[in-house]
Amino acid sequence: MRFKRLHSDTFSAWSFMAPGLILLAIFVVWPIVYSIPLSFTNYSVIGETKYVGIDNFVRAFKDHNFLISLWNSLLYVIVVPFIQVFSILMAILVNSRLPGISAFRTAYYIPVVTSMVAVALMWSWMLSNNGLVNYVLMELGIIHEKVGWLSSSDTALYVLMFITMWKGLGYYMMLYLAGLQAIPSDLYEAAIVDGGTRFQIIRKITIPLLKPYVFFCSLISVMGAVRVFDEVFVLTKGGPGTSTLTSSLYIYQEGIGEFNFGYASALGLIVSILIALLSIAVFKFNQKGGVNPY
Amino acid sequence: MNDMKRAVLKPVSYTAGYLMLALLAIFMMGPFLWLLSVSLMPGKNIFSFPPAIFPTFIDFKNYAEVWEFIDFPRYIGNTVLIAVCGVLANIILACLTGYPLAMFRFKGRSFVFGFLIATMIIPSSTALIVHYLTIRAFGLLGTYAGVVLPSAAAVFNIFLMRQTFMGVPGEIRDSGKIDGASEFLIWRRLMLPMVKPGIAVIGLLEMMSYWNSFLWPIVVLDDPAKYPLASALTYLNGQFSYNFGWIAAGTIISVLPIILVFLFTQRYYMEGISGAVKG
Repeated sequence: MRFKRLHSDTFSAWSFMAPGLILLAIFVVWPIVYSIPLSFTNYSVIGETKYVGIDNFVRAFKDHNFLISLWNSLLYVIVVPFIQVFSILMAILVNSRLPGISAFRTAYYIPVVTSMVAVALMWSWMLSNNGLVNYVLMELGIIHEKVGWLSSSDTALYVLMFITMWKGLGYYMMLYLAGLQAIPSDLYEAAIVDGGTRFQIIRKITIPLLKPYVFFCSLISVMGAVRVFDEVFVLTKGGPGTSTLTSSLYIYQEGIGEFNFGYASALGLIVSILIALLSIAVFKFNQKGGVNPY
Repeated sequence: MNDMKRAVLKPVSYTAGYLMLALLAIFMMGPFLWLLSVSLMPGKNIFSFPPAIFPTFIDFKNYAEVWEFIDFPRYIGNTVLIAVCGVLANIILACLTGYPLAMFRFKGRSFVFGFLIATMIIPSSTALIVHYLTIRAFGLLGTYAGVVLPSAAAVFNIFLMRQTFMGVPGEIRDSGKIDGASEFLIWRRLMLPMVKPGIAVIGLLEMMSYWNSFLWPIVVLDDPAKYPLASALTYLNGQFSYNFGWIAAGTIISVLPIILVFLFTQRYYMEGISGAVKG
């Protein structure tokens, strides 16, 4: 009887899960699995598809544009610590009980729910030669002549990072806010009793207890930074020159633009390995940080 | 107790606190307000120095004209169609898959968990290319089915529904069984009404993500007339760059619905986001 029950549960369980699992298999597992053999072929729209060994990988490491795109993607990780610092400060700020604080939280969150297309276009107009940003910065005396933020290869990548950060701040702020609110208040009470200053309390209690959140947020923002695509695609398409060519954009151009499926898969595989290594680095960095909060 | 915490985390003073909050609000909301004011002032050169931050007059001419020139009802219709299909597919698949994971004892359960977690960890930078090849192999290029299918099942949603189903008492299933209902009927009639909060969160998150997605529709759909709003916007920006007021109005039209939805449903939305950390 008991066996029969388990058996019938097994059958109906798998029937319930089948549609979802099949789709996940096709659209999540298959891309990972299939990209490996694909990257050892010359599959494209022209010519006969055949196995080419490691040719794609050899070509990748001689491909000047790919190396530049890898470098730009790695450079993009610079945005990660800035996101963490600013969003933690924002979370501390909106963790107060000032009347109307939830309206501010909502306001800071609006860029997150807006499409990257709209955000990117909006900022591109504000950052144009005669745009608002140049005006404000010149009024404040920070710059003395108009800067072509997105049209200059010196600044374009950093401007894109800024846009990425601006759009993401509200999201990370809410995650850190959840972290702040999870800190038991008796810790603060004890600290006050012991005569701790505000700065000491933030440094010795808030930051260490926030560590699991810092880890989670760093991890997702590192992955997001290395794979950055939308803002680059909408605003610069990799230009001027190759100054904002990121690896995701280059893979897109090779794969969907030029239909070099085999070569693009090889590039994607290299980037996936890179992301995996970076994630491990974030793990290690997190472990080394010392004090276990719990 | 909370007073103590408040005493520590409260900004130095109300004034300083509000000043910082207000400056930050200008930084985060300013671009939207500037765009809105530009879109409401037809004929004014936005690239003039100093730029207009607050509108000196209000005129809806840009909106009327851009509505005339660009087939907004069509693009909005396309977006709604894609979003509704995507949201329904996600809800149904997450409820179906999450249910046994929360409530059944079955063979292969730990395998399924391992499988789901593995898909979350392994990065895939080639997904776009393989998805394109898969959709092409299915003969779905140029169709909305091709747009929706790759994102119809999401591991995050499945875990979210599993979490929600865990809160439902198992006796409900047993009582359904005693009444002789089939497993599917129990799921449909007894279980789904109990997990409405989870369904609402998925519906909201997915609605926003489909509304804002632009790249995959461009890749799959051959005809710009089939584009959803966000994709159309990238394409129209190139076409009408000479008339900035129109683009500004068009951008406002495209972001307004999602901002309104967010304002009215933010409580559920925030629950969903914090679920992402705990899950």
